[in-house]
Amino acid sequence: MRTRLALATLTLAAALVAGVTAASAGQAARAADPGVTPTSILLGGTTPLSGPYSAFSSVARGADAYFDYVNARGGVNGRKISYTYVDDAYNPAQTIQAMRTLVEQDKVFAVFNALGTEHNLLVRDYLNAAGVPHLFAASGSTTLGLDAARYPYSIGFQPSYRAEGWMYGKFLARTRPGSRVAVLFQNDDYGKDLLNGLKQGMHRSKVKVVAAEPYETTAFDVQAQVASLRSSGADVFAIFAAGKFAIQAYVIANKLGWRPKLVINNVVSSASNVMLLASEGGTNRTVQGSVSGVFLKDPTDPKWAKDPAMRLYRTVMARYAKGANARDVYHVYGMAAAYTLVRVLERAGANLTRAGVMKQVRSLNIASNPFLLPGITIKTGGSDQFPIEQMQLQRWEGKAWRAFGGLWGYRAA
Amino acid sequence: MRGPAVRTLAPVLAFVALAVLIYVLPAFVSDFRAQQFAYVGIYTLALIGLNVLTGYTGQISLGHGAFMAIGGYTTAILMAGNEQFSGGVKDIWTIPVAGVVAGAVGFLFGLPALRLSGLYLALATFAIAVATPAVIKKFEGFTGGGGGINLFGLPELTAGITPVNVLGFELNFNNWLYVLCWTVTLVGYVLAWLLLRGRTGRAFRAVRDSETAALSSGVNLATYKTLAFAVSAAYCGVAGSLFAIATTFVNPDTFPIALSIFLLVGVVVAGLGSLVGAIAGAIFIYYMQISWAQGMDKVIPDWLPILGDVDTSSPGAPAVVFGVILILLMFVLPGGVSGLVARLGAIARRGYHRSP
Amino acid sequence: MADFFQQVVAGLASGGIYAALALALVLIHRATGVINFAQGEMATFSTYILWTLTANHGWPYWPAFAFTLAVSFAGGIAIHQVVIRPVERGSLLRVVIVTIGLLLLLNGAMTWIWGGEVRAVENPFPTRTIDVAGVAISLQDLYTIAVVLGTVVVLWAFFQFTKVGLAMRAAAVNPAEARLVGVRVAWMLGLGWGLAAALGAIAGALTAPSVFLDPNMMQAVLIYAFAAAVLGGIDSPAGAVVGGLLLGVGLNLLGTYVDFVGADLRLPAALLVILVVLLVKPSGLFGRPEVKRV
Repeated sequence: MRTRLALATLTLAAALVAGVTAASAGQAARAADPGVTPTSILLGGTTPLSGPYSAFSSVARGADAYFDYVNARGGVNGRKISYTYVDDAYNPAQTIQAMRTLVEQDKVFAVFNALGTEHNLLVRDYLNAAGVPHLFAASGSTTLGLDAARYPYSIGFQPSYRAEGWMYGKFLARTRPGSRVAVLFQNDDYGKDLLNGLKQGMHRSKVKVVAAEPYETTAFDVQAQVASLRSSGADVFAIFAAGKFAIQAYVIANKLGWRPKLVINNVVSSASNVMLLASEGGTNRTVQGSVSGVFLKDPTDPKWAKDPAMRLYRTVMARYAKGANARDVYHVYGMAAAYTLVRVLERAGANLTRAGVMKQVRSLNIASNPFLLPGITIKTGGSDQFPIEQMQLQRWEGKAWRAFGGLWGYRAA
Repeated sequence: MRGPAVRTLAPVLAFVALAVLIYVLPAFVSDFRAQQFAYVGIYTLALIGLNVLTGYTGQISLGHGAFMAIGGYTTAILMAGNEQFSGGVKDIWTIPVAGVVAGAVGFLFGLPALRLSGLYLALATFAIAVATPAVIKKFEGFTGGGGGINLFGLPELTAGITPVNVLGFELNFNNWLYVLCWTVTLVGYVLAWLLLRGRTGRAFRAVRDSETAALSSGVNLATYKTLAFAVSAAYCGVAGSLFAIATTFVNPDTFPIALSIFLLVGVVVAGLGSLVGAIAGAIFIYYMQISWAQGMDKVIPDWLPILGDVDTSSPGAPAVVFGVILILLMFVLPGGVSGLVARLGAIARRGYHRSP
Repeated sequence: MADFFQQVVAGLASGGIYAALALALVLIHRATGVINFAQGEMATFSTYILWTLTANHGWPYWPAFAFTLAVSFAGGIAIHQVVIRPVERGSLLRVVIVTIGLLLLLNGAMTWIWGGEVRAVENPFPTRTIDVAGVAISLQDLYTIAVVLGTVVVLWAFFQFTKVGLAMRAAAVNPAEARLVGVRVAWMLGLGWGLAAALGAIAGALTAPSVFLDPNMMQAVLIYAFAAAVLGGIDSPAGAVVGGLLLGVGLNLLGTYVDFVGADLRLPAALLVILVVLLVKPSGLFGRPEVKRV
C-alpha cells in the first residue's frame, strides 16, 4: 500500500511539471496566435484518405492544389499557406484524435474544410473550447449555420442538405404535379435531412412520397430496397445516396426494368464518375434526364470549356495535383472553399489573428467566387451564418450535366 | 537466500520498476504524447483481459471490440443521460460499472459459447463484433444512433480543456488522462496476475492444453471457460469506458470490426503473460492505426533503403507493411514479444550461470 | 404478391453471390481446416486483374476471364506454399492471424496499385429483363445463379470422379494415410487453395457488374458468405450454395416484411443465423457432425 502512495506522489509531481509547461503555453498564445509567422500560415483538416469514403478526399486535394498555386504567386500578405490534411478513415473517433494532433502537436492556426457531418459536429465543441477557428466545414448539416451564436469559431460552407431537398420538392411541385415519388436514402443525418427537406418543399402540393427505403453504409448492395421501391408504383425516383450506392441504384433499377419518368440525384452523387459509371457504357437509359442540384461549375459541363475560372482550374490541377482526375467535381469544391479562405485571409490583413479572421468570416460578402455558378453570393452577417444558400438545377444529357432555370434561394418555412 | 524468495521478489521488483518508469514518463514527453500513451495504456488493459481468454484458455475471440463498445456506451449513457436515465454520473465512477456490465454480458455470451471450440467460437464472436454497431444504431433513443453521444463539455467529465484538480495538484487534460488510464491498467494487471498465478490459472491452462484431459482431471470446463470469457469481457469493458472518456465521444463507428481484429492481433504480438508483452502489443496496434491516419511516409524513416522510390504516401501502404509484419511475426516469433522476453531471459540466465 | 416474388428473385440474385464466396471458404476449410479471412480480398484482387485486362489492355472478356482464373489459381497455390504452409502445423490461432495479415496486405496492395476509386467491370451477360406475371426477372441474375449452380456440379464431379479430386479428399480427411498410399499431401492442400482462389475470382466477376469494384467490394459479402457456409455446413459445397440462396432470400423477406428488421438489422440478422446454427446444429444443414478424437 505504501508503495502505491509513493508512486502516486511521484506521478503527481511529474505530471505537475508537464502541466505547468502546458499552461504557460496557453498564456503565451495571446501574444501571437499559433500557426502564424510573418512568412507562413499553418492550416489543418481531416478527410477520409482510406476506406470506402476515400473518394471524398478529392475535396482536400483540390484545396491544397489551389493553396500551392497561391503560394507560387507569393502567398497571402507575404505568407505562404501550408495545409495539412490528415486521414480519419471517416471514423469520428479518429477525427477527434487527429484534430488534437493538429491543434496540440502541429499547432495549426485554423482548421479548414474538415469533411463529414458527424465528424464536424463532434470536433466543434473541442475546437470552440480551444479557440481554434473551424472554417468552412465540408458538410451540409443545418446546425452549422443555425448555432453560430453557441459556436463562435465554427462555420460551414455549402448549401444545407435540407435546402437541397427542399429545392427538389419545390421543383416537383411546380413542374410535375400529381407525381408519386420513391426515395432511397442513406440511413443517417445526411440522408434524413435530404428526405425531410424534400417533404418540406412539396408540402401542400399534389406531389407525394409514396415509398422511402433506407440503406446502411455497411450494406453490400441496395437490390432489395430498389425492388421494393419499384413495386410502389412511383414515377419519380429520388436517390439520396453516396458514391457506389448511387451507381448501384441506377444499375439495379435498369436491371429490374424500372423506368421512372424522372430520377433525382443529390449533389454529393453528382460527381461525374458516378454518372458515367451508372450509364454502363451508354446502355443504361435510366440515367438520361436525371436532375440534380448544383452550385459549383461542373468540370464536365461543356458550357464552362472556355470559362477563365475553369481554365485556371485545369491549369492548377495539371500543375499542382498531378495524376488526379480533373473531371472530378470534388476538386472544384475544394478550390471554391480555398478561394474563399484566401479572400478572408487577405482582408484579415497583415496582423493576422484568429479573432481577426473570425470577424471577417462572420461578415462575408463575396459575389465573385469564380468556381461557383455565376450569381451565387457568399454572404454571412448577423444571425444568417450560411455562406452559400443558392443553387441551380441541372440535367444529365448525353455525357454531361447541363444547368437549367434560375437560381433557387432557400427560404425556411 | 536464493530460491523461492528471489522467484517471487524478482517479478514484483520488475513490476515496480516498470510502474515507476510509466509514471515518470509524462515529465519527459510532450503533453500531446502523454495523450497518445494514454491510449496505449487503454489497449494494454484490453490486451491483458483478452490474454486471459486467448492466451491462457486458448479460446480465439474476434469479438472483444464489442465488449469495449458495451463498456464505452455504459460510461457515455451514465454520464450524458437520455430519456431513460437522468445521467450526470462523474466519469471515473462509471468505469467499474462499465466493467461489471461488460463482464455480465460476457458471462451470458460465454454460457452458450463454451459449447463451441476453435474456429466455430472465432466465427461466433466475429458475428458479435460485426452485429454490434448495427444494433447500437438501431436503439437510437438509448444510444444516440449513428450520431453517437458527445461527452465533451459535460460538467461531470474531469477530462476537458480546463485543468483537473487531483489531491491539490493541477493536472491538465492529457496528463490526467495518462495517469488515469495507466493507474487502472496497472491495477488490472496486478489483479490478473493474482488471478492467474493460483488454481484458476492452472485450470485455465489445462483447458487450453487439452479439454478432454482437463475434464478427466476434474476441472469443470463450463465454469472455467465462462469465467475466462466474463473476465476478459470485463477488462475490455473497462478499456472501452476509458476509451470513451479519452475520446469524449462514442458512436457505432468508434468500435468497428477492425478493432476486434486488432485486439486479437495485439494479443498474438503480446504473447503470453508479461506486462512488457502487452504494452508492446498495444503499441503495435495503436501505432498501426495512427500511421494509417498519418500516412506511412511520415512514419517510415527516409533512410530505409529498400523502399527506394516507392510511393510510401499511398493510403494503402500502411496496411501492406502491417500485413507483412504480422505474417513474418507469426513465422519467427510464435510466442509473441513475451515469448521473446522469456527466451532472452533464459539466455541471460544461462550465460550468468556459465560465466563464473 | 408480385412484390413478394420480386423480393425472392432479388434475394436469389444476392444469394448466388454469397454462395459463390461461401463455396471458396468451404473448399479451403475442407482442404486445410482453416477459415480464410482473406478470401474476400483474394476475390477482389482477382477482379482487379480482370478489370485491368479488359478496361486497360483491351482484352476481350472471355480470354481475360480465363486468364484471371488461371492467375488466381496459381496465386492461391503460391499463397498456400509461401504463407500458410509454414504455420499450418502450429496452433489454429497462428493460422487465423496469418490470414488476417494476408487480408491487410492484399487490401492495402489493392489501394496502393489501383487506388480507392470505384470501377466498372464489364458485364458478360445480357441486361434484359423478362416479365413473369408482374415480376421482373433480370437475365443477368439468372445467369449468375446458373453459373454458381454449374460450378457446384463441376466441383462435385471433380471430387467424385477424378483421381486428383479423390486424392484431395483423402489428403484433407486423413493426411497420414493418404501419404502412405502415395498422395502428395502438401500439393493437394495447395490445390485446394488454388481452386478456392479461382472460385473467388468467379465470385468477384459475378459481383462486380452490379455492385461495382473498389478495394472493399467483397468485405460485406464475406460476412454473408460466412453465414451461408455455416448455415449449409462448413464442409459441404452443396450446403454452401443452398445456404447462400436461403440466406439471400430469407434476409430480403425479413427486411421487407418485418418492420423491426428493416434495412438496418439485415446484417445482424445474418449473424444471428450464424449463432443459432452454431449452437443448435454446428454441422449445418448438410454437414456431417464432427467426430472428436482424443
